[in-house]
Amino acid sequence: MLSIKNLTVAVNGKEILKDFNLEIKAGEVHAIMGPNGTGKSTLAATLAGKEDYEVLSGEVIFKGKNLLEMDADERAREGVFLAFQYPVEIPGVSTTNFMKAAVNAKRKHNGLEPLDAKDFLKMMNEKSQLVEIKREFLSRSINEGFSGGEKKRNEIFQMAMLEPSLCILDETDSGLDIDALRIVANGVNKLRNAERSFLVITHYQRLLNYIVPDFVHVMFGGRIVKSGGKELALKLEAEGYDWVKEEVEMI
Amino acid sequence: MEVQKEFELAETAFTKESLPLRKNALEAFEKLGIPSMRHEEWKYTNIKAKLKQQLSLTTTDSQVNAAVKNYIASLPPYAFRLTFLNGVFHPELSIVPDLKGVTVCSLKEAFAHHTTLVEKHFGKLVNYSEEHFAALNTAFVTDGAFIHVQRNVIVNEPIYIQYFFTATDANAFTQTRNLVILEEGASLQFAEDFRNASNINVQYNHVAEVYVGKNAKVDVAKLQLEVSNAIGIHTLESSVERDGRFSAATITFSSPNTGTGNALIRNNVTARLVGENAHADLNGLYFGKETAHIDNHILVDHVAPNCTSNQLYKGVLNGEATGVFNGKIFVKPDAQKTNAFQSSKALLLSNEASINSKPQLEIFADDVKCSHGAAIGQLDENALFYLMARGITKEEATQILTYAFAHEVVDHVHSQPIRQFLCDKLKDELQLNF
Ligand SMILES: Nc1ncnc2c1ncn2[C@@H]1O[C@H](COP(=O)(O)OP(=O)(O)OP(=O)(O)O)[C@@H](O)[C@H]1O
Ligand SMILES: [Mg+2]
Repeated sequence: MLSIKNLTVAVNGKEILKDFNLEIKAGEVHAIMGPNGTGKSTLAATLAGKEDYEVLSGEVIFKGKNLLEMDADERAREGVFLAFQYPVEIPGVSTTNFMKAAVNAKRKHNGLEPLDAKDFLKMMNEKSQLVEIKREFLSRSINEGFSGGEKKRNEIFQMAMLEPSLCILDETDSGLDIDALRIVANGVNKLRNAERSFLVITHYQRLLNYIVPDFVHVMFGGRIVKSGGKELALKLEAEGYDWVKEEVEMI
Repeated sequence: MEVQKEFELAETAFTKESLPLRKNALEAFEKLGIPSMRHEEWKYTNIKAKLKQQLSLTTTDSQVNAAVKNYIASLPPYAFRLTFLNGVFHPELSIVPDLKGVTVCSLKEAFAHHTTLVEKHFGKLVNYSEEHFAALNTAFVTDGAFIHVQRNVIVNEPIYIQYFFTATDANAFTQTRNLVILEEGASLQFAEDFRNASNINVQYNHVAEVYVGKNAKVDVAKLQLEVSNAIGIHTLESSVERDGRFSAATITFSSPNTGTGNALIRNNVTARLVGENAHADLNGLYFGKETAHIDNHILVDHVAPNCTSNQLYKGVLNGEATGVFNGKIFVKPDAQKTNAFQSSKALLLSNEASINSKPQLEIFADDVKCSHGAAIGQLDENALFYLMARGITKEEATQILTYAFAHEVVDHVHSQPIRQFLCDKLKDELQLNF
């Protein structure tokens, strides 16, 4: 599904990702943990195609295609989805209209006709139930005045609408109360299948109780320094990052 | 323009009742001429260079063409409308309302049949001894619409006053005029709709005078949606009496499609709040592409105390388009407890587009609340990325964000049918199908 090799990325001339490597197969769930400022969001944004991120070297192959050659919109139509750490508020455009444009852009890309109003509405109903989002939220301006938790739910709703193959969740659990966390995690779990992969960035092991990962990676100074199974997250939760840091420094 | 000679031709074209006033205006225009950029109000709009030398004020061509027929066919079949082609009234293309307490007819007819009423109001709101184009218009008016609404009469359906240009004479400089009078407690919605339905460049100069009586309400939409290859000068003067409300939305989509670079639209919109507790909303939305030039000069004149006003203008400029925003708020010494608000925002979508934006507040009373804000900027990069990250192309994302920026002005249009009409037009213009 996704193969990242020796990826080095700079922002404003400063190297953030350094020689980063990661392999994700179809259907797998990978979690990335790591202290603040180690480059987790930079990785997510680079994969999604944000322009300010300058790729100095390395390659990213997504479903056999060179991802780095595509603009952000093309990547999304090819099946990359980023649930933002900080979803953007856009006054004046409803989530409904936004999703209509996005769903139809993807359909056009796949050589399909735009959805008619009835089918679109049906789809909206179905997917909004998945994350228990109220219909009134969808007619409001995108994220405008939404609470932190509501914004995150809206991200997962959009993910459900667009049915991507690679879902990157950047701290989707931050700012969620216990009920919302369960709802969002359930939504994600319903979307799990053999063809869809997940890259879950989080600070808290708690999320991984709900979304059980196949692999857990620890990121440090712009690269993955340790990988393991779900038990690695438990160890990090209990002991913090110091022991990983020591291991790294010893090498 | 050989004004004197042209006037001899024009003398008999309009009613003899109007002749003394028109002669005064002619005299004023001969003194004023066409303003140059040295004139403070025309500093950023070089109208003198744009207007051709050999313009004709007395052309009579008034052909119906396919573009006009198609447009009329696209309107709701029942909509009240007065249709003018190159300034000439066409009753056969119009649906003139026949309502109790409401008089709607051409200005020519009004001069002949409602002489007292017209003479009391015509030319009294515009200052033709100082305003160049008001003077020219007053002297050379071809025709226009007259609407009078009697006391406490509410007109529920909007009236569309349509000015089409179908001329084949590239030198025609059309002079049209509306006079709208609302008595106490009356209410009216109308649109002044300008379209270039020809394939040549057109020039026109339009004036409207609107009287809003005590506790009366007027909603006017100035629609300049197909003014490609046009030089259009618009003047809208209103006076609002006690408890009256006047709202005007000026919508300009100027996208020259033949690239002649001639599109120039100037709007002078004035609301004079002459009675206590009156209110004015002057809103505007303009889109300029290629070499279009769109100039909005607005004035809210607070004469009486306890009045409120809002100005909300938004512009989207692309290509090498230029915009001018000049928003004046005058607060006269008696106008205590005035509450006036102004906001002007422009979105520049290219490096070559530019705008000159100037608020002008002149306050001569001490107990007032006035605020103004101006912002000029580009599209929000984060918002653009957010939309693109969902698979929407950069072009469409730009259109969506432009829609988000612009729709606020359309939302402010009071008249529901006109608001809906504009909302659809805005989506058309931005090629959005949601
Ligand atoms: N636009 C930018 N300009 C300069 N530095 C930046 C920019 N974006 C990110 N950085 C820096 O890059 C580093 C990595 O940031 P990033 O957001 O990827 O961290 P993170 O691992 O996601 O942290 P957190 O856990 O706090 O979300 C930080 O030091 C940050 O300050
Ligand atoms: Mg982050």
